[in-house]
Amino acid sequence: MAWISELARRLAFAVRRKKFSSELDEEMRTHLELKAQTHLRQGIAPDEARYAARREFGNTLLLREQSRDFWGYRWIEQFAADLRFGVRMLVKNPGFAAVAVLTLALGIGVNSVIFSVISTMLLRKPPVRDPDRLMMLFSRNVGAVGSGDEASRSPVSPPDFLDWRAQTTAFASIAAASSFEGDESQTHVTVSGGSEPERVPGGAVSASYFDVLGVSPLLGRAFQPGEDQPGHNRVMLLRADLWKRSFGADPRVLGRTVKVNGDVYTVIGVMPDTFRQLWIFPEQLWIPLTFTPAQLSPAGRAQRSLSVFGRLKSGVTEAQARSELQTIAKRIAASNPETNKDWGSANVLTLQEYAIQESNAGPALAFLMATVAFVLLIACANLANLLLARNANRQREFAIRAALGAGRLRVVRQLLSECLLLALLGGGLGLLFAEWGVHLLHGMFNWNEWSILIAEQLSIDRNVLLFTLAVSVATAVIFGLAPAFQVSRRDPNSAIKEGSRSTTAGRDHHRLQNLLVAGQLALSLILLVGAGLFVKSFVEEMQSKPGMNPHNVLTASISLTGKFYKDPAHQLSFFQGVLHRLAGSPEADSAAVTSDLPYTFPGRANFLIEGRPAPQPDSKDWKESWAGYFAVSAGYFGATQIPLRQGREFTRADDAGSAPVVIVNEAFARKFFTNGGLGRYISVSPDGAPAGGASGSTPPVWRQVVGVVGDVNEYMGQTTWRPHVFVPFLQAPGASMNLVVRLRTNPAAFASTLRQAVWSVDKDQPISTIRTMDRVLMDSGQGDDVMADLMGAFAMIALVMAAVGIYGLIAYLVGRRTHELGVRMALGARRREVLLLVLRGSMPMLLAGVGLGFLISLAMPRLVSASFQDFHVRSGWILAGTPVTVLLVALASCYFPARKASRVEPTVALRCE
Amino acid sequence: MGRAVDDSKTEIPPGTLYMLILKTLESGPRHGYGIAQRIHQLSHDVLRVEEGSLYPALQRMLIKGWVVAEWRMSETNRRARFYQPTPAGRKQLGTEVSEFDRVMQAIVRVLETA
Repeated sequence: MAWISELARRLAFAVRRKKFSSELDEEMRTHLELKAQTHLRQGIAPDEARYAARREFGNTLLLREQSRDFWGYRWIEQFAADLRFGVRMLVKNPGFAAVAVLTLALGIGVNSVIFSVISTMLLRKPPVRDPDRLMMLFSRNVGAVGSGDEASRSPVSPPDFLDWRAQTTAFASIAAASSFEGDESQTHVTVSGGSEPERVPGGAVSASYFDVLGVSPLLGRAFQPGEDQPGHNRVMLLRADLWKRSFGADPRVLGRTVKVNGDVYTVIGVMPDTFRQLWIFPEQLWIPLTFTPAQLSPAGRAQRSLSVFGRLKSGVTEAQARSELQTIAKRIAASNPETNKDWGSANVLTLQEYAIQESNAGPALAFLMATVAFVLLIACANLANLLLARNANRQREFAIRAALGAGRLRVVRQLLSECLLLALLGGGLGLLFAEWGVHLLHGMFNWNEWSILIAEQLSIDRNVLLFTLAVSVATAVIFGLAPAFQVSRRDPNSAIKEGSRSTTAGRDHHRLQNLLVAGQLALSLILLVGAGLFVKSFVEEMQSKPGMNPHNVLTASISLTGKFYKDPAHQLSFFQGVLHRLAGSPEADSAAVTSDLPYTFPGRANFLIEGRPAPQPDSKDWKESWAGYFAVSAGYFGATQIPLRQGREFTRADDAGSAPVVIVNEAFARKFFTNGGLGRYISVSPDGAPAGGASGSTPPVWRQVVGVVGDVNEYMGQTTWRPHVFVPFLQAPGASMNLVVRLRTNPAAFASTLRQAVWSVDKDQPISTIRTMDRVLMDSGQGDDVMADLMGAFAMIALVMAAVGIYGLIAYLVGRRTHELGVRMALGARRREVLLLVLRGSMPMLLAGVGLGFLISLAMPRLVSASFQDFHVRSGWILAGTPVTVLLVALASCYFPARKASRVEPTVALRCE
Repeated sequence: MGRAVDDSKTEIPPGTLYMLILKTLESGPRHGYGIAQRIHQLSHDVLRVEEGSLYPALQRMLIKGWVVAEWRMSETNRRARFYQPTPAGRKQLGTEVSEFDRVMQAIVRVLETA
């Protein structure tokens, strides 16, 4: 520990060096005087005495230096001196400093922004105890081909879960939560009993769930063993933010009863809301998970819907747990072949691994990070060129330093210190830019709840700060090292002699600068091509025919809750009531309901065509006999303006009392019928059960095809149409529906009228999302717009930086040649010739850069489509057009300084310097 | 002290300066000049501490924490920095003295037998 107190003393010295220094001086002065007095006492004359004392004492200055060297660390002092000198140099050249710091700040800023996204999405550990020991357990489908990762991250069925729990020895305990991957109506619950009814995401979990996770309640208690048994399960937990929002953070909430989806539960605890930091935990309230006899029956093994969490026993590794679980799953599959034949395997992942795999953001983040790294490289190249130019003007200074005895390394160190100063200033300003950029991203991450959750957590955290610091230091080395060594290599003798007069600098010197500019051009060309692909893909998506008219349409999602609305008749009367009120409003052109909005992955229905045999489950035909399923009211096709191709739309007469009917889309008609299929009969089963009633217990309901409508995508960027079936809402009512209202005016302004219409029918029904149909389409792009915006912005920054770099280099080179050009013009060269001379000189550099960039960019389309599913862009124009654009920008950047050079009066040029 | 300025210098053996300084401080705090004088006297004018090595040595001992310094009035009524050993310094003195003894005895043995 002695070294710590020693360090403290050294630091104390560094902080108060002035005081220590003057104390040492005083001490030595005292010494000298005392000594002189002694001599005096010995009878020596005063002047002689003082002189003798001083002579014996030796060189006071050297002595002081030596004494002081014991304090502090020599290199720190030299470094501080270098920094002070660097600051003076920057203050003397504010223009250089501003350009350098701004360039770096841009380069570092964009890196920090993207890294903050990576840090939020990939690096943060989930807020549970010992997160690396907490695993998620999955069923794994070994029969699935080509479905990739998802097959290895499948949920678990209740009987499988219970068997796993009974047989595992690798886990201290495992717990289940009802799937958060189900559709919205399952994962959201309606809470009433608080200040107002609210629809929030909720989960049903095993009693041991919070023990496994290692999260303790803020208030009250968590579930106890046995509370996940039927009859004991009417207890619930709230998350802190819901508790604050709906219950005013009242501690007396414990013991209160709350209605969840119509059932009454007693609040027993409040969980901390740090919990929400990971998007795989969206739940705001929890109830115990109980299983019905049907779920526990042998057939229940096929219903895989649970998320399973387990905490590893100490000493057990993830791999050991995985292999044990795989053995158990294999055993279960062997004894239950009819449900688990293809499911004889299992998978174990940490929460973090799961989050990374499931977010599927890897490729996008990799592209963004590579892009900003390129931007930073371009910034570094700019700075290196700036420094090369500046160092060329400082040749004399370095020569004098070397002549005075500065070693080569000492000079390099001084230059690197100056670069570090620049980089740290740039990094600091870059952080400010990043803060602003993150603020922008907050607004852009809004395409689904998951992205909103990320946006909420997006911030410049400690990881980002460390990253920025590391990047700043690294850039200082990257852009500073080459110029520094270039300087230190020069012979001081010749530099002092020649440095006074500007001659054309060595070839070697310019080659490095030219290489840097060529590299910049190549990099920015590659970035522009990459960005062009993303932007074009997005524009194509937005311009692609949506198959409907999304403008001036407002949508709202409503899930009716409570026992009352379990009755289909009440569902019908509710939505009919709302539609009636909406139809009466003067702004509304037409209104309808649909079970799923366009572009939102509709529910699937199994169907059977009359006259064809029912396919065997799991046969190839079986997999083909599924279609997107929509229950829509009369007027839906009018409100969305989905065109009717054949037959008729639904009317109010298509109700439960009339003949069952169905409308199909063109994709369906093309695929399954030869001439549209009007008048044919099909049977549709939306619940996942076979449409024909494979068991034969329920006879199929045959619906006559009465119409064929145009195709509409299920998600943004979809390349092939999928078959859809539409059934009349009056014949197939449901509790979760979406209102679709076509308006004569601005749709957003209609939202309050729409709310009033809903609440005038039943004031207890919450509306979960109100958005325009345009927004629905945008959101279904899953952030494609963000990707296009970001890539476009970064590539533009890169191009501007490269242009500035070229401009700067040519201006500098021309400036160095002013004298030479003056001579040429005095000898009769015309302006045009001088201009061409300069341009011609820069052509090899420009062409090399653009050529190299072009060759590399040829690989971009393949790279992008290999990384992103459904990426389809005709890239010819981008590949051909971008190099031309870059070359033009580069030529323009050369042209202006060259023209300036050609306009100089020869007499002025000759007198120059 | 009857002699004039004595120019004959006897170098202090390397590595023993800290030990000598710490030893002189055992009898009470002294300033730099006092330390040099004291060593000179106690050695019967044989050892002479060079100022050029005294002050760097004192600075190093301050860093090492063997001594602490304090500004006080000297006996002749002028401000001077007085040094005083710390417990760590006394311990250091002990180790240096025993180490010195060991080496000294070894040297003596070599001289007697060879």
